[in-house]
Order: sequence, then C-alpha cells, then structure tokens
Amino acid sequence: MDKTEFIALVMPYKDKLYRLAKRILVSKDEAEDAVQEVYLKLWNGKQNIENYKNPEAFAITMTKNYCLDRLKSKQASNLKIVHSNYQTSENIEKNIEANDGVEMVFKIMESLPEQQKIVLQLRDVEQFEFSEIAQMLDSNETAIRVALSRARKTVRDAMIKKYNYGIG
Amino acid sequence: MESVKIKKILDAYFEGTTNLEEEKALQNYFNNGKVADDLVQYQPIFAGLKAAKEERSNKAFTLPKSKPKIIKKQWYSAAAILVVAFGIGSFYFSQPHYSQEERDALAAFEKSKNAMMLLSENLNKGAEQLSFVQQFTVTKNKILK
Repeated sequence: MDKTEFIALVMPYKDKLYRLAKRILVSKDEAEDAVQEVYLKLWNGKQNIENYKNPEAFAITMTKNYCLDRLKSKQASNLKIVHSNYQTSENIEKNIEANDGVEMVFKIMESLPEQQKIVLQLRDVEQFEFSEIAQMLDSNETAIRVALSRARKTVRDAMIKKYNYGIG
Repeated sequence: MESVKIKKILDAYFEGTTNLEEEKALQNYFNNGKVADDLVQYQPIFAGLKAAKEERSNKAFTLPKSKPKIIKKQWYSAAAILVVAFGIGSFYFSQPHYSQEERDALAAFEKSKNAMMLLSENLNKGAEQLSFVQQFTVTKNKILK
C-alpha cells in the first residue's frame, strides 16, 4: 500500500477519530496529538490494516485505547489534562447558535465515566450500529446497550434537574 | 410527527432499545420544527448531540516520509552475521596448520623421541646395577688398609 492509498483509506475517519479523542481527553490539543499518534501507528502497521475487515473500526479501537492509556499515564503521574480550548472566531459563531442547554449537555457528557462517554459518542454522535460498537470496544451488544442507557439517563436526569431550577 | 409517538420512542431511547432510524427520527423532531411543550426539556440533549457531531479539527495530520524501520532491521542482521563470521574465522585461523610433509616430520620426531627415551631408560637400569660393583671397592678398602 503506498501513501496515497493509505491516506485515501484512513483520512475520511479523521473527524470521527478526533471527536472521539476529544470526548475522552477533553483538551483539543491533546485530542489532535492523539489522532496524529494513531495515524503514525496505523501507518507503521499498514501491512496489517489490510487484513482487518473494517479499517474504520480498527482505527476507532486504536484511538480509544490510545486515549485511555494517555489518560491513565497522566493520572499515574498526578497530572491532569488541562484543556485550553481557546475560542476561535468560528467557535464563537457556533456558540451563538448553540444555547446554554447545549453547553450543559457537553458538561454532563464530560462528567460521565469513560466507557459510557465512549459508547454515547459512538452511538448518539457517530451513529454506529450496536454490532459495530461491540466490535470496536471488544464487548457485547447487551453491555453496550446497558452502558448507553445509563449514559442517556444520566444526561436526561441532569438536564431535567437544571431545567426545573431554570438555566443560568 | 405527533408528540405521543415521539414520547414512546423517547422512552425506548432512554432504555437503549431504539434503532438508528428511530434515533434519527428523534434528532429530526427535536432539531427541526416545533417541539411540544412537555418535551421541550429534552431538546438541548439532541441539539447537543448534533453540535457534538459538527466538531472538526483544522489540523493537518501528517505521515512520515520514508519507511526507515524495515531497512534498519536488515542492517542489524547483516552486522550480526559479520560479527559471528569474524569470530569463527579468527578462531579457525589461530589454530596452527601443517602440510603433509611437516606432519610426517613431526611424526618421525615423536617416534625417534620415544626410541631415545626407551634407550636412556635401559641405560639407567644398567647404571643402577653398577652400584653393586661399587660395593666391592668399599669392602676391599676395609680389608686392605
């Protein structure tokens, strides 16, 4: 496989991988580094990628594992990933149309346990089938459904609480 | 879509039993169009999920230019072979080498050495016997003073 073929194969996943990494690591810079690292690993192991039936699932699994490792090593060395997601002009534009509620949802999603975060990201944001998610996370569909249901309910309950108290 | 139907899907959604199509219907209902008053509290969730999908990175991800790893591995094995060959070679050449003629000469030398040893051994035996003759002289000197 040469470079152009490789890029054509894996670059379409760029945004998905980035969003997943950002969901786990929160920080924009960390997420970008993670995706870059995953691409390097994929490139070095490109002989293998052809053997996998679903390169997309493979890339997502790799991203997930890399991000969780990264998180673990940061925690082990007592460091917390601090995100400095500065607002760029396009972000501001986005924030104008998004209301406070959306921001709330992001905050709640941040506070979910890692596994639930990942499942919610893959299902409700990226719209993967349960069978695909089970393959990516090396789990089974029932466990995925349970984690997803918990994540959705947590988001709902937190939102309803806020809604009843009034936002802001 | 009527809110009763949506409510039903919503309940299933929170139990994790909806399929992708039903979830898409929820997305459409909450993100485009009018939302019923008793469901408006769920709207931010779907707006948030939609916004989450629109996140993108502007960074260009790059790949390394060449693939030096594979070439390096071959050089490692080549170097290892060289070292082993040098070791075996130096051991082999440090041993002395004799031609056929030299080996014959060496064998003859050994043979003659053995013969000489045999000779000198027997000679020493004879010399030992001579000590008895010496005894005669000692006794004779005692008598004839």
